[in-house]
Formats: sequence, C-alpha cells, structure tokens
Amino acid sequence: MSLLEIENVTRRFGGLVAVDDVTTRVEAGELVGLIGPNGAGKTTLFNLISGFTALTSGAVRFKGAAIDGSKPHVIAARGMSRTFQNLRVFPNMSVFDNVSVGSVGAMGQSAFAAVFGRRGRSDAISARTWEALERVGLAEQSEELAANLSYGKRKYLEIARALAMRPDLLILDEPAAGLNDSETAELARFIRTLNDDGLAVMLVEHDMNLVMGICSRVVVLASGRKIADAEPAVVRADPAVLEAYLGVDE
Amino acid sequence: MFDPYYLQQLAIGLSQGVIYALMAIGFTLIFGVLNVVNFAHGEVYTVGAFAGLLLITAFAPPFLVVLFVVLAVGAALGFGLERIAFKPFRRFSDEASLKSRAMRESTLMSSLAVSIVAREGLEIAFGSQMQTLPFEYLINKPIAIGPVTIVTGDVIIFVVAALMLGGLQYLLTKTRVGLSIRAVSANPLGAKYVGIDTDRTIVTTFAIGSMMGAGAGILVGLYYGAIFPAMGFVPGIKAFVAMVMGGLSSIPGAVICALLLGLSEGLATTFISSNWADMVAYGFLIVTLIFFPQGLFGAGRERV
Amino acid sequence: MSEITRKGWVVPVLLLVLVFAVAPFTLAQFGKGYFFQVANLVLIFSLLAVSLHLVTGVAGLLHLGHAAFYGIGAYVAALMGTDLKLGFLWGLPAAGLVAALFALVVALPTMRLVSIYFAVATLAIGQMINTVLLNWVAVTKGPNGVMLFSGIKLFGFAVKGPLAVYFVVAVVVVASIWVLHRLSHSYYGNALRSLREDDQCADAMGIDTVRLKIEVFTLSAFFAGLAGALWAYTTGYVSPGDFNFSNSILILAMVVVGGLGSLPGAIVGAVLLILLPEVLRGLGDLRNVMVGLVMFVSILFLPKGLFGEVSALAFVRRNLGVKWGAAPSEREVGWR
Repeated sequence: MSLLEIENVTRRFGGLVAVDDVTTRVEAGELVGLIGPNGAGKTTLFNLISGFTALTSGAVRFKGAAIDGSKPHVIAARGMSRTFQNLRVFPNMSVFDNVSVGSVGAMGQSAFAAVFGRRGRSDAISARTWEALERVGLAEQSEELAANLSYGKRKYLEIARALAMRPDLLILDEPAAGLNDSETAELARFIRTLNDDGLAVMLVEHDMNLVMGICSRVVVLASGRKIADAEPAVVRADPAVLEAYLGVDE
Repeated sequence: MFDPYYLQQLAIGLSQGVIYALMAIGFTLIFGVLNVVNFAHGEVYTVGAFAGLLLITAFAPPFLVVLFVVLAVGAALGFGLERIAFKPFRRFSDEASLKSRAMRESTLMSSLAVSIVAREGLEIAFGSQMQTLPFEYLINKPIAIGPVTIVTGDVIIFVVAALMLGGLQYLLTKTRVGLSIRAVSANPLGAKYVGIDTDRTIVTTFAIGSMMGAGAGILVGLYYGAIFPAMGFVPGIKAFVAMVMGGLSSIPGAVICALLLGLSEGLATTFISSNWADMVAYGFLIVTLIFFPQGLFGAGRERV
Repeated sequence: MSEITRKGWVVPVLLLVLVFAVAPFTLAQFGKGYFFQVANLVLIFSLLAVSLHLVTGVAGLLHLGHAAFYGIGAYVAALMGTDLKLGFLWGLPAAGLVAALFALVVALPTMRLVSIYFAVATLAIGQMINTVLLNWVAVTKGPNGVMLFSGIKLFGFAVKGPLAVYFVVAVVVVASIWVLHRLSHSYYGNALRSLREDDQCADAMGIDTVRLKIEVFTLSAFFAGLAGALWAYTTGYVSPGDFNFSNSILILAMVVVGGLGSLPGAIVGAVLLILLPEVLRGLGDLRNVMVGLVMFVSILFLPKGLFGEVSALAFVRRNLGVKWGAAPSEREVGWR
C-alpha cells in the first residue's frame, strides 16, 4: 500500500479538462516532483488531492483510506499538509501564532479545554510549535508579525506551519517561486533534510533544476495528462517531456 | 373577479417598490464602482428631504425648482461623503488594496459612523418627531383609474424613477463619463493605467448616486407629507436588500427586486399586518443570501 | 523568566481590587443610585463589547446584530421573572442559553457566507428579532416593554440596595470576561484569528472553519444573553428600543474604537463610550452623535484602535499569561 494513491483522477471545468485521467502514487518517505508547463494542471491536481477542488471522476486514497470528497481540514488532520502557490501566511499574527495554528489544527483544542483545560494540551501545542520554528530557523523571530518578515522568511514560515502538523505527507506548491538562485539552492537542501528524516514530500515546481536535483521520482504533466513518471535521469531523456517543454529550454 | 381592494393594495405596493428602486439605483451604482457598501445612503435620502423642507419653508419655490435644488444638494452630499468617509481609506491604489477586505470594512464602518452623526445631528436640530411639509406641495391628489385610486405622487414618482433609470442607462452606455464609470467598475487599476482619472470617476459616481437618493427623499416626503430624521434607515435597508437580491452590481436587477419587494410588502400588509411587513424584506434577504448567493439575476450578471 | 512569573498576579489582582473595592467604595461615597446605574451599564456593555470582540475582532466576522441577542437574553430573563415567577438564578442561565440557541439556529445556514454578505445577514437577523420583540405583543408586550419588579433573589435572600446589585453584576461580568479572555487568549483563540486572516488557509491547517465560526457565534450570543439578563434585572424594565440596530452599532463602535482583536481594547471602548456621554450630559443630547464621531475619528486616525491587538496581546502575555503556571522551558511566547 502506497502512502498516497491517485487513480484515474479527472477534473473538468466546463469544457476544459484540467486534469485528465492521471494515475500515480507517493510512497512513504519518498520525495516526488510534479512538473509540467504552465497550465498543465499541476496546481489543480494538488487541489484535488488536498480537497480544495472536487474530483469529476477517479479516486484518491491516503494511507489506504479514500479521501476524495473529504473536506480539506479532514484530509489535513489525517496527516497531509500543504503550502500554497502564492504564499499565504496569516499576516497580522506573530510568527509563533502562525505556526501554532498548524499545531492546533492537528491536535485540536476545544473551547471548553481552552477555558477550563489543564495545561498539558497547551504545553504540548507550544512544544510542537517551537519544534517546527526551530526546524526552519525562525525561533529567534517568533514574536515578529508575519507581515514584517522578508519574502524568503515567509516561505519558511509557511513550511513551518505545515510541519507543525507533523504530517506524513507534505505537499509544497511551487516553493521556489520568487526566490533567487542561492535561496532556491538553500531551500532545496532544506527540503532534502526534511525528506532525509523520513517525511514524504511532493512538490510542484517550475524550476526543473530544483526538482531534478533532489527528487527521487518525477511526474510530468502536460495538458492535464501524465506523460512521464520515472527517475529524474529517465525523465530528462524522455522525448515526450522534451516536446512538452519545447521552448522552455531546460 | 378580483376584489378592487386587492388591486388597490397592489398599486400601493408597486409605488412603494418604485421608491425602493430609486434608492437602490444609487446604492447599486456606488457598490458597483467601488465594491463598497455605502451605509450613509439612507441619510442622503433624509438630508435630501430636509433640504427640501427648508427650501419650501424659506422660499416656497415651484415644485420643479425644489426638485432640482434637492438633486444639487444630493450631488454635493455625495461629493462630501466620498471625500470624508471613503477617500481617506483608499490610501493605496493597487488592485489588492482597492478590493481588499480591510478597505471594504473600514469604509463600511466609516460610512456607518457618518450616517450616525448625520442622523443624530438632524435629531438635535429638528427633534426626532415628524415634520410636516406644507399641504400645497404634497403630491397626493387622488386620481381614479377604474376601481383603483392612485394619487398624483404615484405617477410623479414613477415618472421620475423611469427618467432617472433611463438617464442613467444613457449616461452609462453612451457618454464618456459613463464609460469611465464602467471601466473603473470592471477594473480600477486597469482604468487608471489607460489614463482614466479614477478618483474623479469615483466621486462623480457618488454624486450621481446620492443625487438619486436625495431626490427619492424629497419625493417620498412630499408623498407622505411628513419627514423625520430616522426616515432613511428602513428604505436604506430595503434598497440594500434589493441590491443583494439583484446580484449586487446589476442596476436593472436591483430595480426589479425593489419592485418585487414593494409588491410583496404590499401583499404582506394586506394579508398579515403592516407591522410584520418588514419581516418580508429581511426574510427575502436571508433566503436570497442562502439559496441564491449570486442574486436572483446572477446568471446574466453585468457590472453596473 | 522568574521576574515575569512573579509579576503574573499583579495586574489581575489590581483589576479585581478596582472592580470590587475601589469602584464600589468610591460610588458609595456619592451615595446615589444613579452612579451605580452608570457603573452597572459600564460593566454590562464591557461584557457585550468583549463578547462581540470574540466574533468580530478575533474571528473577523462583522456582526451587525449583536444587540438582538442581548435583547433575547433581556426578554427571556424579564418574562421568566414576571410570567413564570422564576427568579434571577433561573433567568440568568436561561437568558444565555436561549440567546445561544437562537444564534446556533441562525448560524447554521449563514456561516458559509463571506465577509460583507455575512454582515448583511446579521443585520437582517438583528432587525427580524427586533421586529418580533416589537410586534409579538402577546408574549413580549410589544412597544410597551416588560416591567420586572421582583429584583434579584439569591438562594432566598433578596439582594437589596444598589451596592449589592452592583456586586452581583460585577461577579457575573468578571467571570464571563474571564471565560472570554481564556477563549481569545489561547490556542483556540489563535485558531479563531486564523479564520479572520485567511479561512481557506486555516482549512488546510486542519481547522474545521465552518464549525468553529458557528461555535464562536453561539458562544458570543450566550454572553450577550447573560448581559441582557443583567440589564433586565438592574433596570427593571426592558423594551424593544434598547436592542435595536443603533445598539448593535454602539457595541461595534466600542470594539472598533478599542481596537479590533484586542480584548482590553473592547473594555476600554465600552468604558469610554458609556462614560463620555454621561460626562458630557451637560451639553445636551449629544450622546449618539458622540458615538458616531468617536467611531469615525478612531477609524480614520487610529485604525488599530486605542489599545491595538499587537500591544494588547503583548500586554496579556506579559501580565496575565503566566498566571496559570510557570513556563515549561525558556520559550514562552505561547498561551497556557
């Protein structure tokens, strides 16, 4: 049983078939890249997996249980956390509070517990939040408002918030968008270390170098269809992929 | 056969609907352009009515002069309102902040604050009780059409509303001002980039919208013969309801819904009681919001 | 950190001394019931403002009908006291529960609406409730309102005199605000803030956003209902005019003036907007104009409010956050 199984997934928007009969999987501890030219349906596929968009047909299973049709928060609570393409942090909350939302989302805290509960749960949430903050190196700026962080730091904040959920699968939507080469390289190393610790990661990326450099397997989408699903070296040599990327010069 | 009584009630409901429509046009125009709710629209209506009262008691001019002066006052009110309650919150002119929730909510509250000051200010100046308008100005001479009796006011309000609606459609579709209003409504930033003075367009929209609000105020005042500082609140909410039901930024949609609203309130008054007629509007609003979040005419939606 | 731990009790104790000793003692010196009535009003509106703060300031739901739930509470308490002869001890919790029940019923369909639509829906609901209070004469006595002569009785003892009534009000208000403080200054509160910031993103963080919105709306109405019962018992008279749209706006103005998202700010706003008109009473009936002006000036010049959220959270963390135990480690930005 794979960690995430995507079977014949299709999504139509009116006449447009954004994702067309895609089947793939993510194994536990794997680092999978999802690439494709603009409009290939990468982000739509991500939204289908994480429950933000409903499937037209097909099935998605996570840890063996069907999750298609589930609400995003249900899927997230099962151990799949995601980031967003256009960087969505909570701007008017401190860095610590931002990340704590991930901890609360995963662990839960009822209104009753917030008022009358004993300290145990709060301390556990706090500990988990600190752990995630230290992991991405934002512990020093914990009291800063998220809006005041630099763009690059906000990327890490978003990842920290996802990590605070202690997911089994982390899905990153274009994490390197807007970063320069050295920042991208640093981010690649960071994602690598997350994966080295056993976290399964799936990332959508424009930046072929990032994907080819760190992923153990690469899935290529073009016009909603899967055209390749193999190791980076194989994908790089695949004529179908080259054709899809013609003019993108990679 | 129909009991003429019911026809009579329908006529009353319809004329009420036309009044709501007059309010709703201005409301929707402003919402369509700025994507913000102008809570002070009801107060523009009230101030228009009071301006008419002052004018009549001071100079006793002919009816048309009263109407035009009130329209001018309305335009001035719209201008002032935009400068006081809306412009200060358009601090940045990028797309994100023009359509941002923060901007919408702070202008909603600032216009609310201005409306409180205006209403309570009028109460201090005039007292909260009814002010009567001179009898000779009232537009309630009865006209009998078969079994139904209507008054001159019904005809006048209907004609004025039709003129305003027609004039507005002409303005929006056939003139340069209208073109820039539609452009700002569709995309404020894009309009700015192609050289439209967005600030001026917005203030013009406020002036036009408020003109209609103030005109509605004096007409209703002359129709009922009495005005009071809180008179704008309920029609303001009804106009709001009509706007939401019509799909938020469609003026014809808002007008149709305003007529529907007036008619159903007329029916509610006939069959239940006038005290509960307001429930109809609020009920309509809730039902629309829950079941038709795009408005009743959302499908063929047009901006402004 | 030990320094902070030692100081943790100072501010709460000072506040309690202010509410339970300094204020009543000072008021008693004046020896007038009127001053106690104003003090009760300040307390009741503080509770209303803080309960609205939870919905509008923390969870970011612009609520324009809060006074209606306050009204439901007042009517429930008053009608139970007169028609059913069930006194304060029954009326108070019933007022809160009935208001919360109404809020729950209302919230179930409307909570999916976003920002401005939600605001309009709450406005309409507030107006509907007010219309019912005004026109359902058989039960609510209509525009005449309900007189409640029975006064507060606790376990067979009649609470007589303005000082005693003030203490009852103060105990209920302080306990309620403590609960609301625990809710907004906790990880639960952080989850609510995430709704305000970006509810779709909160959804991706495993937070059941719709449920949480319904929950917070209902909780807030519960406390508004309690405030209503206190109003009914302190004034002895309820009428629909006390719970109309302008009252919803008055409460909203308190929250806005104090600072959206700031609990201490909501209290500051309530104190300011209740006391200011009383102080300016000599100038004539400027009360409501003042509300509008203060609200406008603060939106324009103090968009973060008198006691903004950032400084309020820092204040709470510094002065109250440690009260419930020492830090587990050096790190202690969190709530406990």
